[in-house]
Amino acid sequence: MTTPIRRATSALLVGSVFVVLATACAADPTNVREAEHDRSSMPVDPAAVMGAPDRPIAGPQGAVGQFVVECPYSHALPDDPIVYPGEPGASHMHVFFGNTGADANSTLQSLLLDGTTCEQALDTASYWAPALYHDDVMLIPEKSVAYYRAGLDVDPTKVVAFPAGMAMIAGEPMAVEPQPTSVVAWSCGNGAMRWETPPSCPSGRGLRLDVTFPDCWDGEHLDVPGHREHMRYSSTGECPSTHPVHVPQLIFSVAYSFSGDPTGLKLASGGVLSGHADFVNSWDQDKLEDEVTFCLHRDVVCGVTSGRVSG
Amino acid sequence: MKLFRALIGVSVLSVSMIACGSGDETNTSTEAPTSEAPSSEAPSTEAPTAGVLNVPADYATIQEAVDAAAEGDLILIAPGTYNEAVQVTTNNIVIRGVDRNTVIMDGNFELDNGFRVVGASGVAIENMTAMNYTKNGFFWTGSTGYRGSYLTAWRNGDYGIYAFDSVGGLLENSYAAGSPDAGFYIGQCYPCDAVIRNVIAEHNGLGYSGTNSGGNLVIVNSVFRNNRAGIVPNSGSYELCYPQRKTTIVGNLVYSNNQPDTPAIDVALLAMGNGILSAGGVQNIIERNRVWNHNKTGIGLVPFLEEDANDAIPSKDAWGTDCATQKLQAPVVPDGPLLWDSQDTEVRGNVLEDNRRADIAVGSAGTNLWELGNCFEGNTFTTSAPLELETLAPCGSPLSETAGDWLAGDLNVITWLVDAETAPPSVDWKTANLPEMPQLEGMPDAATAPAVPASATPPTIDLAAITVPDKMD
Repeated sequence: MTTPIRRATSALLVGSVFVVLATACAADPTNVREAEHDRSSMPVDPAAVMGAPDRPIAGPQGAVGQFVVECPYSHALPDDPIVYPGEPGASHMHVFFGNTGADANSTLQSLLLDGTTCEQALDTASYWAPALYHDDVMLIPEKSVAYYRAGLDVDPTKVVAFPAGMAMIAGEPMAVEPQPTSVVAWSCGNGAMRWETPPSCPSGRGLRLDVTFPDCWDGEHLDVPGHREHMRYSSTGECPSTHPVHVPQLIFSVAYSFSGDPTGLKLASGGVLSGHADFVNSWDQDKLEDEVTFCLHRDVVCGVTSGRVSG
Repeated sequence: MKLFRALIGVSVLSVSMIACGSGDETNTSTEAPTSEAPSSEAPSTEAPTAGVLNVPADYATIQEAVDAAAEGDLILIAPGTYNEAVQVTTNNIVIRGVDRNTVIMDGNFELDNGFRVVGASGVAIENMTAMNYTKNGFFWTGSTGYRGSYLTAWRNGDYGIYAFDSVGGLLENSYAAGSPDAGFYIGQCYPCDAVIRNVIAEHNGLGYSGTNSGGNLVIVNSVFRNNRAGIVPNSGSYELCYPQRKTTIVGNLVYSNNQPDTPAIDVALLAMGNGILSAGGVQNIIERNRVWNHNKTGIGLVPFLEEDANDAIPSKDAWGTDCATQKLQAPVVPDGPLLWDSQDTEVRGNVLEDNRRADIAVGSAGTNLWELGNCFEGNTFTTSAPLELETLAPCGSPLSETAGDWLAGDLNVITWLVDAETAPPSVDWKTANLPEMPQLEGMPDAATAPAVPASATPPTIDLAAITVPDKMD
């Protein structure tokens, strides 16, 4: 089954994504549970299949059009709505941001009805990442920041919103070697330095995990077995012909108040090299499309990260 | 509360009178001298028959009217509460409330911006109130030519009235309270070519903030009181167009910016208790302001420590680089923290009292103060840091290490980092105690005045005519 873009933006999408996220229809190749069973057929390094941005995306904000959503921490669960739908407790521990109800049983329908921690109340999408532990104590993140931009050197007028219910993963949870910092990196505060492993951050400019999602979509699948094959990273501003649809490049940053000596840090998915993040588009779709049109197409900075402490 | 309201009434009157002293006009539409000339930019200004789109009579929502508007049109909004977040992308339109205090945009703590002008030029917004937005009351971004007149922004989650990456602006006769960041903000522009005049900012994290902005940026005849900190331009590589430079701050009343119960971003906690604070800005001019009752400095020039840098600090010979050019230059990420020193700023003729750390002050984090080029002259003050500051750092001649003891009474600004951690914490902007929303003077003849889109050339302010304002209460 394929899902044309148009369907994804219509009322039909609620039903179709419900299928993607939650049902166990074995004949449906977009079924995510089957995706898990397909794991053996996945490439050794599934992240490498998707490529990587041409270079790490960092530096002063304000050079290119963007919209930004800050979402305080919501909750932690050993659930993964994409990889282990319907199987509470099957995953390593994740920290969730945005959608307040995201869990193993979530569907697009349920996510759209849930609340959000985001200061953008119409961003009811769900974002999650592996929990970070320090000496085996789970650290509660301060907030997340989701930066939405056109991919590097991409003509921003080509970018279309993610279809409702689209699911994707960036970074490799099984990684034991350093990943490209253009995909997964550690940083301090709003700084532009990117590290493969957590640096020692100054007090007040705490540690962040930065994950850059792919920005090219195959135009058909909201998700696929393995959760990778429907997405690619653009290169030199172009998407490959197999994945011709430019979608926003989501850079998802998990901010901790943790600073200082990084010894003793590890992610729930493994060591500090196993950074990754997951995204399910359950935005208010009209608002998401507006933001793409107003901010990205017009190449205007619709917001920057704030220094807001909380509240 | 009655007393407070009466005070507001008085204060607005006196602010208006100040305005009359620096210009004869009383009507926005005639104040901008360039608005009459460039008819090619705004042909409708000469044709009062230009379209008027009435909300809700002609269009049920403001957004529908905005979407239907053509350049030169006037959108006229009747009294009422509008739960809208309006996007504006049409150039040269005017959006006006018939009554400033009863045309109310209400975000209900869910909508993001009352108005967001996205890359449209010449958009003027007039005579209304925006409250309870999670981001900003009124927001221009990527605009050339913008104007906000007779606006009230109250209890919004980021800024009250906010111009980013925009040039050619005028914010006037407006009021902002209850934002954790700044009541008024103009940032990421050089040259900005912008004027802020006759505004009141209170109970915000910062009264005014402007990161990396300047170049014909003038803040005059306004009131900044009861914020965490008053007027706080700063430099930083986290956004573009650094350093902050060439902002002119003249004839303002700046007082009691120690307010402990406001919402506050991190920088507001750091700057708390200062009246006018340049944090890493250069080539600013601070003249003839009246500044009193601050726990720290009345006027302070201090470094801005940026530990999570995005680019190197431009050398002095690059300070003339305009923002558009700098945007094209690839950043060079430094290994360590940045220290943006306040430099080459002139502080003259201000009247200061009861600023309890020092009325006037300059500080650094290691740089020799005489190498920073800041000067102080003709101020009325009691205390300074370092001591004898006007003797050490007179204007008009190069500063000298041997002018005196530069270390006596050092500001010791590093301790502020510790102070920020023990400052009264930020209060949730949604529930912070605020003064009752004031009933403020509205735009004259709002129902009938012709539409004048925003000019990209702000009015020229006769700075020389501005005297130190009197206290209002």
